[in-house]
Amino acid sequence: MTANRNTGLSERVDLWTILLYVLIVLAGAISITAASYKENTVNVFAFSHFYMKQIMWIGIAWVAALVVLLLDKRVYHMLAYPAYAVGLCMLLAALAFGKEVNGAKAWFEFGSFRLQPAEFVKIATALALARVMSAYSFSINRPRDLFKVAMVICAPLMIIILQNDTGSGIVLCSFLFVLYREGLNKWLCIPVVLVATLFIASFMLSPMLLLVLLIVLCTCAEAMMNGAWRSRIIFLASLALATVLLCIAMHFIAPGAMTPYAALLTVVLLSLVGVVAYAYRANLHNIFIPAGLFVGTLIFLSTTDYIFASVLRPHQRDRILSFLGIISDPRGIDYNVNQSKIAIGSGGLLGKGFLQGTQIKYGFVPERHTDFIFCTIGEDWGFVGAMTVLVLLCLLILRLMRMGELQQEPFGRIYCYCVASILLFHVLVNVGMTVGLMPVMGIPLPYISYGGSSLIAFTIMLFIAVRLDASMRRFSLKNH
Amino acid sequence: MSGSYAGYIRMRVLQCVVIVVFLLLAGRVAWLQLFDARYEEMAKANVLRHVVQYPPRGEVLDRNGEYLVQSRECYDLMVIYSEIGKRGFDTARMCEVLGISRKRLERELANARMRPRAPRVVANYISKEDKLRFDECNFRGFYTVYRTVRRYPNHVGGNLLGFVSEVTPNYLKHHPDYQAGDYVGLSGVESAYESALKGRKGVMIQEVDTHGAIKGSYMDGYYDSLPEPGHYLVSTIDSRLQLLGEELMDGKVGAAVAIEPSTGEILMMVSSPTYDPDELVGRERGNNYMKMLRNKRGPLFNRAVKAKYPPGSTFKLVQGLIGLQEGVLRPSDLHACYMGYQAGRMKMACHAHASPIDLRFAVATSCNAYFCYVFRDILDNPKYGGVREGFNAWKEYVESFGFGRKLGSDFLDEGSGYIPDADYYERRYRGTWNSLTVLSLSIGQGELGCTPLQLANLAAIVANRGYYYIPHIVKRIEGRDSLDARFYERHYTMVEPKHFEPIVEGMWRGVHVDGTSTSAYLEGLDVCGKTGTAQNPHGKDHSTFLSFAPKDNPRIAISVYVENGGFGASAALPIASLLEEFYLTDTIRRPELLDYVKNMEIHYPFYDR
Repeated sequence: MTANRNTGLSERVDLWTILLYVLIVLAGAISITAASYKENTVNVFAFSHFYMKQIMWIGIAWVAALVVLLLDKRVYHMLAYPAYAVGLCMLLAALAFGKEVNGAKAWFEFGSFRLQPAEFVKIATALALARVMSAYSFSINRPRDLFKVAMVICAPLMIIILQNDTGSGIVLCSFLFVLYREGLNKWLCIPVVLVATLFIASFMLSPMLLLVLLIVLCTCAEAMMNGAWRSRIIFLASLALATVLLCIAMHFIAPGAMTPYAALLTVVLLSLVGVVAYAYRANLHNIFIPAGLFVGTLIFLSTTDYIFASVLRPHQRDRILSFLGIISDPRGIDYNVNQSKIAIGSGGLLGKGFLQGTQIKYGFVPERHTDFIFCTIGEDWGFVGAMTVLVLLCLLILRLMRMGELQQEPFGRIYCYCVASILLFHVLVNVGMTVGLMPVMGIPLPYISYGGSSLIAFTIMLFIAVRLDASMRRFSLKNH
Repeated sequence: MSGSYAGYIRMRVLQCVVIVVFLLLAGRVAWLQLFDARYEEMAKANVLRHVVQYPPRGEVLDRNGEYLVQSRECYDLMVIYSEIGKRGFDTARMCEVLGISRKRLERELANARMRPRAPRVVANYISKEDKLRFDECNFRGFYTVYRTVRRYPNHVGGNLLGFVSEVTPNYLKHHPDYQAGDYVGLSGVESAYESALKGRKGVMIQEVDTHGAIKGSYMDGYYDSLPEPGHYLVSTIDSRLQLLGEELMDGKVGAAVAIEPSTGEILMMVSSPTYDPDELVGRERGNNYMKMLRNKRGPLFNRAVKAKYPPGSTFKLVQGLIGLQEGVLRPSDLHACYMGYQAGRMKMACHAHASPIDLRFAVATSCNAYFCYVFRDILDNPKYGGVREGFNAWKEYVESFGFGRKLGSDFLDEGSGYIPDADYYERRYRGTWNSLTVLSLSIGQGELGCTPLQLANLAAIVANRGYYYIPHIVKRIEGRDSLDARFYERHYTMVEPKHFEPIVEGMWRGVHVDGTSTSAYLEGLDVCGKTGTAQNPHGKDHSTFLSFAPKDNPRIAISVYVENGGFGASAALPIASLLEEFYLTDTIRRPELLDYVKNMEIHYPFYDR
């Protein structure tokens, strides 16, 4: 069996995926060369250059990929929980003893090499999530199971946020993508996404507007789940009427004591009692989910100012405000994004050519070989190059999703979707950041940004999926 | 749920999400790279630095080919702060070599520290010698940049040549083709011929990195351009005459202008007090400029083209000419003068001379009474039917001589002098005035104001017997065939040339026979002259002298005006005479007169209070 597996491996692995991977990694190596090449370099192949280091990391990553392919498929199922536990421990250890880089206490240092456990915890979390959700008795829409899933995602997320590496932490939120695929009610997914946007919106919208939006959002979500639109609209109308009446009444009793906002808040909170009573009577327990979401968000939003002022670091605050256009400072906070847009925008259709991009070569874009690597591609290779890389990444993600769909066991499917969602999130945030669509978060572009931890972790992550896919093919071949 | 219909739908939805995300990113990238052209420009603004290469400014030569203005090489000291060695450098030695104060050096270095890799000016106007010494010292991080400044080998012609200065923000507002750091001529020749002198700047486009360090030239210098030096000018000035003029006028306040009558070329133009134009160049420029501004005698005021002086008796020439043209005077007409002119209670004093006298003798001896008769005859000419009309006719004549208006010379700041009109007297005397009221005009007093240039032009008109060329300061501009057309045009006065002979005769007799100007006699040169002594409310009379020589085919017409110089013959005449002698014979044979002029002491209580 063992011999059989080894000989057939090259035929069974998905060569398309590997081809895409190799192309993307090579594009990354070329870009890092362009971003870190210095004119007048005497020794082009000196190991101090980033591109030489990256080539070494690519070698290590490929060895790791081979090891991953050679291990038995069941190992990953088995290792899911231990890996998760080890990952959490490493995160805590990094929090306690790690080295601080760019304000994030998220690194271990061994000599001249640094390791970021958060990169590997993504794999462990994906495996653990797949394991939890593939359990026989698991049903995603049952609050107890949903809570389990939330715990699996939130435990590492919290630690990573405590490490002050918010960007890497938020990546784990992308598992919502997987949850949706596994049948999480879409009227829960959408509000979660919207609440996230509300957090950002809370800086721009008035509290009153925010509250109204929240009420309408949660009521609609509930109505979408349970139907009965008529009664929900009546509920909204009566809320509005009650608020107006309360306002008028308060105006006569104690003028100025209650603002419309306070009146609406009072009415809504009072109405929650009725909502709870209704839920019990009509036996519609899922009403508690939007209701809980509402209360949770309300508390969350009322603390956004506090979070914003106390929890977020000044640079994070500035990044969000700058992204929202509330503050503008081209020399300071906006500098990175501005220079990044200039570099990409000046690339034009065909780009300036390899090593010819002036913005990159002369150092106008900071972090050009790591987080802002996409600028190098955009400037040197132009629209054509940028599109090529985006298409390769898009194909890889779609390929992973297809792999997942072809899996016969939920474990493999869920894992493949986890990988796809992590990649998608990284690409969206990283590329979005370089073109000014997203606030600046320090997360790398998978396989392309310079960095050993990230390259090796993403490679292992991808090749576990390839390995699962390969064993599935063996089964399917046998079965047919 | 795998394989189930619901799962299939959800897979499709997620595929759509992925594709939408990528389309969003692709769309944004396409917008940045293909449609929004701003980023291209911003990238260039980031990386390209346009280094201006300054052209040497055009030089100015005198009519004999001697340099009046040269461009001298000088250097700006630049520093790239980050390249200064870690151990610093010997500041005391640098200050000593470059002659700058330590305080200033430290201030500039503190500024340079702000952008440590960008070049920054530390000191300017470093002479070639200092630069060579500096190069020997080999200070790390410092280097010099070539520029040119003005240099005046003869140290003459301060107000005439004008000065060059860095453009001010205000100037930039009105002249968008200049940029900060450019030099521009602000007065005299420098401003009048700015467009010819300035040349064209070159540009060197360099690529710089984010720290401002220079990385090389853009497109291998394809878009670079070399500076084009400014054109040189040949001035009409005779620098040796100018130098003598300035020496003679030293210590006096006034102006002296000499014109070549046959061309209108200005041979010499002295405004006194003057200054050494080299003082307005270099590091001490600001201090010197302020010193001059505070000087009450006003060395920065170009009296030669701007001052308004009463012409005094020299104006009698104009009165006589108008009388002849108007037919109210014949050269042989005799008028009596016994120590003056009297009409009713109005009396105009005169000095002792024979009586009655004709026009020639009246000019030669500068008789006041004679020209009172002439002037009254012009104004009260029955032809005009009233003093008002008569006066306006007179004014028209006077203006045809170039008085009361700008001559149109190439001095941009030329003054127009002042000739009152009839309305002025109507207002002033509320309608009750006649030719007696304005009688002082007849001898060039009263409200008249003439610039020394206009007076020199009068001398040229008389020398030419009736016409003039607009006086100008530039003979030739490199690269151009001719000057402005107006300088080649003869301007006739309203007096016919035939009427000039008796006046010229009178001027000749004033020098040669018996008159006020006999000390202007130069053997064999046929000098013609007219003195003037102008009363003024600020003390002693102004001394003025108009002259040209020789009488036939005159080569020089000159006007000298010395404020508070006393009689025309006592201050202005010897100066004019010496200048004529020097110009026409190249020597001065009267050293005692030279000493007399140089040692002449005139007090100016009005200025030196």
